[in-house]
Amino acid sequence: MTSERTPGPQVGRSPPRREARAKLSGRAPYVHDLVLPGMLHGKLARSTRPHARIRRIDTAAARAIEGVHAVLTGDDIRQLIPQPYHGPAFHDQPILALDKVRYAGEPLALVLASDPHVAQTAARLIEAEYEELPAVYDEVEAMRSSAIVHDVLKPAGTFPDLKHLAGKRDTNVALDFHLRRGNAARAFEHAEHVFEHTFKTQQVLHLPLEPFVSVADPGERQLTLHTASQSPSFVRIEIARLLGWPENRVRVQVPFLGGGFGAKVYVKLEALVAAAALIVRRPVKVALTMEEQFYTLTKHAATLRIKSAVDAEGRISARECEVWWNGGAYADIGPRITQKSGFTAPGPYDIEHVSIDSYALYTNLPPAGALRGFGIPQLVWAYESHADMIARALSIDPLAFRRKNLLREGRAQATGTLMRDAALDTVLERLAQRMRWDEPFERGSGSVRRGRGIGIGFKASISPTTSVAIVSVSADGSCHLLCSTVDMGQGSDTAMAQIAAEVLGIAAEDITVVHPDTDVTPFDMATLGSRSTYHMGNAVKRAAEDARDRLFALAAELGLAPETTPIPEIFRRKYGMQAGNVVGQGSFVPSYIPTDHASGQSSDVTPFWMVGATGVEIEVDTETGQVKVTRLVNLADAGRTVNPAIVDTQLSGAAIMQLGFTLFEQIEFRSGQVANASLADYKIPGMHDLPPLIENEAVTAHEHGGPFGAKGVGESGTFAVSPAIANAIEDAVGVRVTALPITAEAVYRALRASRGEPLAQ
Amino acid sequence: MSTAQRIIRFTLNGEAIAASVAPHENVVELLQRLGLHGARESCGQGLCGCCTVRVDGLAVSGCLYFAVQLDATCVDTIEQPFGEDGLDEVQQAFAQCGAFQCGFCTPGFVLMSRELLAANPEPSEDEIRHYLSGNLCRCAAYPEIIRAVQLAARMRRARS
Amino acid sequence: MTPFELIEPRTLDEALRLLDPADPGVRPAGGCTALMLMMKAGMLVPTRLVSLRRIEPRYRDIVASDDAITIGANASLASIEHSARVRDELPALARTLRTLANVRVRNVATLGGNLAHADPHMDLPPLLAALDASVQVQGRGSSRYASIEQLISGYYETTLAGDELIVAVRIPKRAARGCAYRKVTTRSADDWPALGIAVALEREGERVRAARVVLGAAVDRPTRLLAAEAALQGTRLDETSARRAADAAADEARPSEDARGSAAYKRELIRVHVRRTLLEAWCDEPVGAVRQ
Repeated sequence: MTSERTPGPQVGRSPPRREARAKLSGRAPYVHDLVLPGMLHGKLARSTRPHARIRRIDTAAARAIEGVHAVLTGDDIRQLIPQPYHGPAFHDQPILALDKVRYAGEPLALVLASDPHVAQTAARLIEAEYEELPAVYDEVEAMRSSAIVHDVLKPAGTFPDLKHLAGKRDTNVALDFHLRRGNAARAFEHAEHVFEHTFKTQQVLHLPLEPFVSVADPGERQLTLHTASQSPSFVRIEIARLLGWPENRVRVQVPFLGGGFGAKVYVKLEALVAAAALIVRRPVKVALTMEEQFYTLTKHAATLRIKSAVDAEGRISARECEVWWNGGAYADIGPRITQKSGFTAPGPYDIEHVSIDSYALYTNLPPAGALRGFGIPQLVWAYESHADMIARALSIDPLAFRRKNLLREGRAQATGTLMRDAALDTVLERLAQRMRWDEPFERGSGSVRRGRGIGIGFKASISPTTSVAIVSVSADGSCHLLCSTVDMGQGSDTAMAQIAAEVLGIAAEDITVVHPDTDVTPFDMATLGSRSTYHMGNAVKRAAEDARDRLFALAAELGLAPETTPIPEIFRRKYGMQAGNVVGQGSFVPSYIPTDHASGQSSDVTPFWMVGATGVEIEVDTETGQVKVTRLVNLADAGRTVNPAIVDTQLSGAAIMQLGFTLFEQIEFRSGQVANASLADYKIPGMHDLPPLIENEAVTAHEHGGPFGAKGVGESGTFAVSPAIANAIEDAVGVRVTALPITAEAVYRALRASRGEPLAQ
Repeated sequence: MSTAQRIIRFTLNGEAIAASVAPHENVVELLQRLGLHGARESCGQGLCGCCTVRVDGLAVSGCLYFAVQLDATCVDTIEQPFGEDGLDEVQQAFAQCGAFQCGFCTPGFVLMSRELLAANPEPSEDEIRHYLSGNLCRCAAYPEIIRAVQLAARMRRARS
Repeated sequence: MTPFELIEPRTLDEALRLLDPADPGVRPAGGCTALMLMMKAGMLVPTRLVSLRRIEPRYRDIVASDDAITIGANASLASIEHSARVRDELPALARTLRTLANVRVRNVATLGGNLAHADPHMDLPPLLAALDASVQVQGRGSSRYASIEQLISGYYETTLAGDELIVAVRIPKRAARGCAYRKVTTRSADDWPALGIAVALEREGERVRAARVVLGAAVDRPTRLLAAEAALQGTRLDETSARRAADAAADEARPSEDARGSAAYKRELIRVHVRRTLLEAWCDEPVGAVRQ
């Protein structure tokens, strides 16, 4: 197809993000900014107990406040929605607490007022009477605890492989994933060396700077939700299900998101505002505060036990992994994390005998969900720390140890799926080159000791999931791209426009990308798990091809040369004036074969593999344990990069975020209560925490199934940061830290212990 | 005086404004009522910088500033237009360097960078980091932001 | 936030008259940053705020005399940070202000408000205590001076009466005084300090004539470490004597545990950072200072 311009290749260049001007002038729309006529603001009263039966909720004092329009509790919601439970894996989460509370901070009642200050003042006056129940907080204890978070398990039915859990009682295990390949037990019996280590990770927070916010407009025939959501299509289906309505009576619109990172997936505030708006027949907005984000969704803490059999040459012959995921009070997507990450728990190594047991546990903490990596950073923390510990014990260079064991192209991975287009070796070799691994390294002196470390991880993509896109060509040749991918900062609008433009032979800048509106933009499973470039990218490519083919067909039908006739001319000849549209549609669902329940084996667990590696150089202050990362090198296989500048930003952004999770971020709990629910007490990386040297590289690669060879990269930068730092610390000062975060105090304590002078608690 | 609303008069992005404000209202709430949403409350504690505005030429956290105290001041927000293009060098440089991702913190970074360059036209990388250390970007576009401020400084020098 | 009245008197006298010691809902307000935080958290529900913003401009002045620098309580932290006088004569104060909170807070927050807030994590109280500053407190018809230790009596507590205001801080000049403040953060760089250590050393030749070592953040209120001070008296400051004093400091300090570190760890941080701060203070050279 030709237009008047010949813009050249669109994929592989880095046009500025299309929303730059809007964002830089403060005019980009966010739900946060939305005000509707007659809108009420909702403020939540929350549970003060981690686990208790609710005897009574006293709302009288709140109702008495002048300006309070209504106060709603779970019982009011139940009048509208008889089964007010939601969740992607389990229908376990009530819109407002019913009968019992399962974590401190759980929403208990909603106060509605025109003035948010009035609603907030009133919400503080709501009190409940509780009958306390024994609580469980630790994921390993939850396996055997007599404190049971949910009386009965209620799988949502969305995922067929969870159905066997329906109705199960007296357990906190929401999902158990098992994988058996070869015979690990026997391999351990004959092993030259056996290594076993246990690692821990902590609860951390996504902390998007735009906290959760949703607005519901009850409308006449149709309920409209304006929501900061990564999954508008899912929200529509789930709200329609709760209300017993057809999908087309629920409309979900999503403008820009002020960050997501996996927090704003599935249903968060949407069911609450929908129910409230339908009850009071007025628009309702609930905008959480920064503090309230800590009571909404966290990243799973995990305990990971990993055991390896290694032969005399340093080859890993068998590996056993046990992982316990602390899912908090509601499953959210935790069971999926447990299973999908379980696929790759032994790491990117070629191991003949593998045994994996991965458990999603309920506890009485705020619910945990996906956070930039879908469980992978926790696993890589364990297996890449473990890798260095083995290498050191066997006096093998850590890079050589990895080279010796690395999964090569065409080899079967733990699930039995063959590795294809996973540039593990290229990524590892480029990392080694950039780190100048074979050259001498300056070790520091006095109280400042220097070290370096590496790590490499990989991830199976989310499958099977569906994406649909529409490309509409107007009579003047300009185009709209309709897709429900949410641009939350990752630059998907720009990347999708580039893919469509490449097919259509026009400039990406000339395409208008329509933001998610379920009345207009077609279905997409969600913007998560680095799936958009590949899944939606393929759908967009197909939609653009379909539009192009239809235009060509139209031209041919009119007796015009398809390849050379300008687009406006085709429309003029067809309609006699500037009129009409040509609409192309594309959808994409990758293949997937479910894993066998007993063995975890499948020949097709993922459409593509993500690879991420990190190298660091650090300084340790041996007198205080303070660690300073002086150089951070991030490598990834992103296939062919659609927009190299955005890929670069994704890599370093992810790595810096993971740097915070590695060194200091931690939600502190005291008896189940969050003790640091604010940005003053929960610290995230700022300018001064930035390593002075940061390098990013997406290696030259091609993904066979990806649009123009591309695949996702949003999470890859997170994978290996934590173990690379722990490995560098051991390199610098000879101590090993096995729990995150690696605080200065943790390093200092390890140093003291290694000198035989442990510091008192 | 009472807890009732009070009329204040101030200059907002060069325009004279009169507004009725309640004593407890903060600057962000007032600006949003006036249809300006570029300054947004995020952490609510003056730590993230998303609510940055300039009052009489000094950057402040709008979430920690009573609206009534804007009386008789000059207020600049991110919505203030510049030149023919509407964007000043800082904004142009941020666009060129891709110095943002989700954009929620971006207005604060732009205003702080503008203030930095007004006081210090040739800041070192350390000075940039130091000045912007009170602004947080969860997407961590920090390396790009540093490059953008350096580029904006060059563009400003080239202009003058 | 519950409604309240905000009054902006034009004079200090008027401000003092508007305060009501019998009513805890009446509060003076400086830059309002800390105050708004407390109001948002529901910790403070004022009925009346008496803003000092528009009182006589002289309460913002930074004045040097032969024997002291006097800073008006209404001076913003940024104006002190950028004062040429402060940079020349009290470089440690200017350096400390540079890393206090952030630019926006420093543009608004005042010296008086900072001290009256008495948040134990503040950087200025330990430093001002080390500098032997005295705080001028004005009541209705009365005026008094208090040292930092006399002013700040506990965790967010001061000895200010409900109708008293801080009007100025007087920092005495001392010949051959070196000073340093170290903010020690254990999580992100911009975190509240796990400890703040302020040191002022008066030199006599190559020896320490008088020393002040003050610990903040890890304790309820700025606390002088007297054993460390005594250990320094008359010594020639070097690695060994600094280490001896730092050990004394670690032994006598009673740090509390919080998310920034255990008590035992903070004690070790005190040991390391008192030593490092002493060595830094010894090399601190205000412009125009004559080394004896």
